[in-house]
Amino acid sequence: MTATREIVTDRREEFAFHDDIVYLRETKRGLTRETVEEISGFKEEPDWMLQLRLRAYDHFLQRPMPTWTDGLDRIDFDKIVYYRKPSEREEKSWDDVPDQIKATFERLGIPEAERKFLAGVGAQYDSEVVYHSVREELSKIGVVFMGMDQGLKEYPDIVRKYFGTVVPAEDNKFSALNSAVWSGGSFVYVPKGVEVPLPLQAYFRINGENTGQFERTLIVVDEGAKVHYIEGCTAPIYATDSLHAAVVEVVALPGSKVRYTTIQNWSNDVYNLVTKRAHAYENATVEWIDANTGSRKTVKFPSIYLRGPNATADIISVAVAGKGQHQDTGAKAIHLAPNTRSRIVSKSVSKDGGRATYRGQLKVSPGATNVVASVRCDALMLDDISRSDTYPYIDIQEDDTTMTHEATVGKVSADQVFYLMSRGLTENEATNLIVQGFLEVFTKELPMEYAIEFNRLVKLEMEGSLG
Amino acid sequence: MPDNRMTAGAPARAARAPRRAPSELTFNPDRDLIESYAAAEPDWLAADRRAALARFDELPTESNQLYTPYIDLRAADLGNVRAYPEPAGAPDPARPESASPRGAAAFADFDEDRVAGLVVDDAARAAGVTVDTLDGLIGRDPETARRLLTDGETLPADDRIAQLTRAGWNQGVVIRVPDRVRLDRPIVVRWSAGAAGTALLTRTIVELGDGASASVVEELGRSAAAAGAAAGSGQALFTSTLEIRVGRGAELAVASIQDFGPDHIVFQHRRATVGEEGKLHWALAQLGGRLVRSRVDNRLEGDRSSVEQVEIVFGANEQLHDLTSYTRHVGRDTTGNLLSKGVLLDAARTYLKGMIVIEKSAVGTDSFLGEFGMNLSRKARSVAIPSLEIDQPDCRRAAHSSSVGPIDEAQLFYLETRGIPPDDARKFIVLGFLEPVVARVPLEGERDRLRELLEAKWDAGIARAAAA
Repeated sequence: MTATREIVTDRREEFAFHDDIVYLRETKRGLTRETVEEISGFKEEPDWMLQLRLRAYDHFLQRPMPTWTDGLDRIDFDKIVYYRKPSEREEKSWDDVPDQIKATFERLGIPEAERKFLAGVGAQYDSEVVYHSVREELSKIGVVFMGMDQGLKEYPDIVRKYFGTVVPAEDNKFSALNSAVWSGGSFVYVPKGVEVPLPLQAYFRINGENTGQFERTLIVVDEGAKVHYIEGCTAPIYATDSLHAAVVEVVALPGSKVRYTTIQNWSNDVYNLVTKRAHAYENATVEWIDANTGSRKTVKFPSIYLRGPNATADIISVAVAGKGQHQDTGAKAIHLAPNTRSRIVSKSVSKDGGRATYRGQLKVSPGATNVVASVRCDALMLDDISRSDTYPYIDIQEDDTTMTHEATVGKVSADQVFYLMSRGLTENEATNLIVQGFLEVFTKELPMEYAIEFNRLVKLEMEGSLG
Repeated sequence: MPDNRMTAGAPARAARAPRRAPSELTFNPDRDLIESYAAAEPDWLAADRRAALARFDELPTESNQLYTPYIDLRAADLGNVRAYPEPAGAPDPARPESASPRGAAAFADFDEDRVAGLVVDDAARAAGVTVDTLDGLIGRDPETARRLLTDGETLPADDRIAQLTRAGWNQGVVIRVPDRVRLDRPIVVRWSAGAAGTALLTRTIVELGDGASASVVEELGRSAAAAGAAAGSGQALFTSTLEIRVGRGAELAVASIQDFGPDHIVFQHRRATVGEEGKLHWALAQLGGRLVRSRVDNRLEGDRSSVEQVEIVFGANEQLHDLTSYTRHVGRDTTGNLLSKGVLLDAARTYLKGMIVIEKSAVGTDSFLGEFGMNLSRKARSVAIPSLEIDQPDCRRAAHSSSVGPIDEAQLFYLETRGIPPDDARKFIVLGFLEPVVARVPLEGERDRLRELLEAKWDAGIARAAAA
């Protein structure tokens, strides 16, 4: 029995509150050039970062709002507070964290989780990392795990070398927005040959009505190193729409192995528009294990650019879309080098009028010979007021690629439900079990504690729909 | 998804064409000409042309945002192409009509702006089968023409180029098979076109009454004028439609063999509505053209209706075949079975876009879409976008599958162990891959012709590879 389990089981109502935090610093609502300068000034950043932010801001203004997915025009950029800093500095020790924020994190179970099995904790409260600790042994082996702002101060060379190289500000409108106003997020550096023995874990949390969350994460894994990073989210519920536009960049240098696991469970008013991309160099392996159950709308396609020979990409993407939700998720594998391999598995569940969309891209560029790639997307629809879409893009520009793609859409089989009911399960339990089985390809990749949590989360979602 | 590759591997780089957006349609409809048609036509038809022209002006070239990254009309340079001002509406009595292909029940033969032949044999005529030019039908039976042309259902309203054809068509043919007439021999429609600088905008309408059955073979090829012209003497434009209504319990098979010349820009729209227990079979072969943009819309309206669509592309040189297929399940227990296959040589490209839509009313749907490609050249590019949009989960099946791969080494090895030389073995495997369409062509002579075309294209590709 741990507190982490309870976060996702039955206590979500408790998090639907608003803490009356006194913000030490915050920008005015709305986004102007001055806001960007102000954020950079608060953070006492080097000039190159300010210039990067300003260029990104200009691009954000020029770039039209994407129309290939609907509903984004509802976002009112003028109503958003782009930067809030709830406490003055990053805390090294739990005791130093202000009581009110600490109370929130106690509810989220972070100290408990940390004691249990975490290698390090970066907890994000609004726009700044307020609590952060790295275990002694990680420091000893040279692993860096800290807030992005701190990373910029302490490791300016690494940050400058890689920041914005995987996801350029100009990539899309929301990566431009993030690059202009980013705040918080994690910075991870794993030195050559180091295998991080335990998952690195960060909790993120949005608080404050109309507070934008623009965290920026950069993970650099040096040659032959190995790391597993876990990101999980909860957010309190508010009536007006919140925006979350994160950018995650992963650099997997030759021979390294990176796994990035996400359980996204934002409250159902959040627009979650995230750009996640990894560069995999020679012999590197990158795995995105990505689940989306929360938010009003998520637009997220974890991507892997296979840039070196023999690199491997593995993406598992899971989405559950309930009432009022649209999960526009998927994956991209871009093969740029010979002998690279990719596998994409997507599972989606839509119910109660929710809409699950798989959108993916598989591309084999000229020169990427001897590629082996597979894509599998399955969708489960629990009723006929929901919707499921599949939009895969497959673009092959070599003559010796072996590519397979399969997709199916279906409902819960009445036979299976009947069978389980004949064994004494209720209809709810039977359906729940079938859905859990459908999503198992994802769950079995999680650390055990997370797998239990995730199954409880799914069960909760299912009870909401069937009860 | 940016696409900055243009004509990769062009043998000789010609003077750079002016930079254009990939979606820019270089053809401008001749508004005066359309007005001159309208002035001589019944009011309803004039209104229909004007409405279409207004739609044309409003619409983007690709209105489906899913596909905007994969549109590329840059190979088309139609600024100097002019629509034939006044194609004939009937065969010229002063010239002998072309003979019907062996085994055909009826034959409509168009050669550039002429009607070279229009025959229905006695048995078909006695059964009430009619084949008219569109002009002819408007004169002979204006009420039927009006019903067929203006019900607003037969061409996609959101498609700019379909609206161009609706506004500016200058030739057409209407095939009608009455209720319960079962025609066992095919009707052949031949379009020969491609004279440099010309545009032929055509409509083909097929109506099968309840319980009728028929097959139609569409032959699209180069005219004598096009075949005789020197290479590079100028592009030509051909737009066509197939507007199909399959009545209750009726069954229609359509086979199309497209082998236009290398300077031909081709835009095709085929749209079919299938009634209760109706069956539609497509067998479509795309071989020719410089740039071919085709769209098929299947609408399974009636309960238990079905469509089977088999499409092959054999691309070479710098050909681009951009093929979209929409299948919309509306009725209960409908069945869709769609298969697209592409073989690419040289720097050829294919875009295979397939969309299955299962509406909420379509309980019990069985729908499958398969897109399979064989890239036989490192410069070839094959794009597949097999999509599903589903509002009704109570399906027998809703799936798609797609693969791209080289020639299967195991198959090659097997054939070689049987004493077949490697080059022949490759040819057999590739032609076998494309055979599903050949086998569905209803007329023996046409089947043989298609096999010969495919084989000749393969042999030419091998010869080019050997010379390179």
